[in-house]
Amino acid sequence: MTKAVRIHAYGGPEALVYEDVDVPAPGPGEVRLNQTVAGVNFLDIYHRAGTHFANLTPPAIPGVEAVGIVESVGEGVTHLKGGDKAAYPLTAGGYAETRLVPGSDVVKVPDGIDDKVLAATFMKGLTVGHMLNDLTTFRPGDFILWHAAAGGVGMIGCEWAKHLGLNVIGTVSTEDKAERARAAGCDHPIVYTKESFADRVNEITGGDLCQAVFDGVGADTWLDSLKCVKPYGVCAAFGLASGPLPPMGFAEIPSEAFVTRASVAAVTKTRPVYEKNAAAFFEILKKGVLTPRIEHELPLKDAAEAHRRLESRQTTGSLILIP
Amino acid sequence: MTKAVVLRAAGGPENFSWEDWDPGAPGPGNVRVRQTFAGLNYVDTYLRSGQYPLAKLPAVLGREGAGVVETVGDGVTGLNLGDRVAYSSHLGSYAEVNVVPADRLVPLPDDISDEAAAAMMLKGMTAQYLVRQTKALGPGNTLLYHAAAGGVGLIACQWAKHLGATVIGTVGSAEKAAQAEAHGCDQVIRYDKEDFLEHVMALTDGRGVDYVCDAVGVTTIEKSMKALAHHGTLASFGAAAGPVAPETWGKLPPERYLVKTTLPGYTKTREQLLACAEDLFAVVRSGAVRIEINQRYPLKEAAQAHTDLEARKTTGSTIFVI
Repeated sequence: MTKAVRIHAYGGPEALVYEDVDVPAPGPGEVRLNQTVAGVNFLDIYHRAGTHFANLTPPAIPGVEAVGIVESVGEGVTHLKGGDKAAYPLTAGGYAETRLVPGSDVVKVPDGIDDKVLAATFMKGLTVGHMLNDLTTFRPGDFILWHAAAGGVGMIGCEWAKHLGLNVIGTVSTEDKAERARAAGCDHPIVYTKESFADRVNEITGGDLCQAVFDGVGADTWLDSLKCVKPYGVCAAFGLASGPLPPMGFAEIPSEAFVTRASVAAVTKTRPVYEKNAAAFFEILKKGVLTPRIEHELPLKDAAEAHRRLESRQTTGSLILIP
Repeated sequence: MTKAVVLRAAGGPENFSWEDWDPGAPGPGNVRVRQTFAGLNYVDTYLRSGQYPLAKLPAVLGREGAGVVETVGDGVTGLNLGDRVAYSSHLGSYAEVNVVPADRLVPLPDDISDEAAAAMMLKGMTAQYLVRQTKALGPGNTLLYHAAAGGVGLIACQWAKHLGATVIGTVGSAEKAAQAEAHGCDQVIRYDKEDFLEHVMALTDGRGVDYVCDAVGVTTIEKSMKALAHHGTLASFGAAAGPVAPETWGKLPPERYLVKTTLPGYTKTREQLLACAEDLFAVVRSGAVRIEINQRYPLKEAAQAHTDLEARKTTGSTIFVI
């Protein structure tokens, strides 16, 4: 018997029940992982409450990213063996001491990477790396626009983009967040509640606009985001779950620029793309490009408290659970 | 007095009239071109009908033309009287004479005829950016080209094939299918007889294509998006069947790219313009791409040419003989 946090019905934080679970030996293609750290994401709250993009049906174990040590592997798993450190960014069942996880969802973690930092950032880091490395090509000094630059993904985006030598423009909702974004490397935070970000991007870039625009916000910002990308650049929506892009008229689509909807789920589905992006992120972690922002570290049994803190919107950094 | 096909009000082809029209002496930086041939393009019909509003009326349509330099304005260097030139993006080519900015004129090499130039400057340079710039096609790539027997289509499909791509073309008649097959298409789909999306998926083992070129619009775009492989690109460069609803553009599947392309966007600088034209001339000179002038009309019959184009009666390039 091992412990896990499970929901038996959708509900509030109290729906998260810490209890015994039985974890069998790994079947074909599976890995049995002894987890050291589980990350907590807003997606987990949707899963628990059964709202928004919930695709978790009770009884089930929430949590989609974690790090651990491989205990044993099932038939056909060749990329991992017992004793390897491994991680996954997007597979429900993470709030557990020990779990089975499809081997294709898991990558081996090289030496020199902190479990807690990785568990707190893996999904966000893969998202950022995919957008910076796979969607377009940059020359040093190119401008990019990152929406919600003081958010979890946004700050990693700013740090990584700065590391690539890019000029980073970011949108934030308050002056406090502008300072946080600036500390993460955002050269030009724009408080979008006070001024039009499209006008400011035009000014900051001297009318040249951005080689890439990353919009995880959606319907409210999309049409103005399209105004910020230059020819041959890319305007990418991300994080809108499986929903369509906001509507756009033909005249509003910028000429000669690429419009796309980036998906971290698509990255993990294609093994070579997943491995390439995971390796790129591990390098970024090893080089110390990111400032760790673990704000709350709680024992696994306190998952409900973790959700309360996240839902209160008081947190600015990451939240992790220790099994 | 010189003559032109003049449009006095947006509307049907009957609104064209053959009239005296003189664009005057060229101002600074401009050149007066005595035209020999002009090209017909689908975009001309958008301007005529009002789908794309014109800045002012009356107007002379046509963006594609070839001829000789008649007079040059102040400050024009490198062009002399009698030089053979062509252009692709300056309004006013349905005329015996047009005044064009010197930096938009491409000098014609001896082995490119005036009529070939009038048939390819816009269509061929559009094909150039589609297969060489928006996406640089090569071996291993699969292209789905809509209206493969059209003016841009015949050129783009031959060129894509020459670059090593696998080319799937859609057409709306048996005659057009034969044309498309003879001009670079490995597979031709009769969109009037079968579902092109199903057919494309069958041809690609469910993977989809790397690249779709779609100037048809409302009737094709949604399935064009679905026909894209992972990381595939959809180039939208016109809407012959009508404009696409804003919600439809939002249906782009994840990890696919949409790009709206225009020839002016790829020929902003003189260097870009000349490089694009030179690349086109080179592939035509090599024989890998043939410019098929399948319809010739006297300029004053522009209305008939528009009627035939909109009735989908034409294939390849259509030119006006001036």
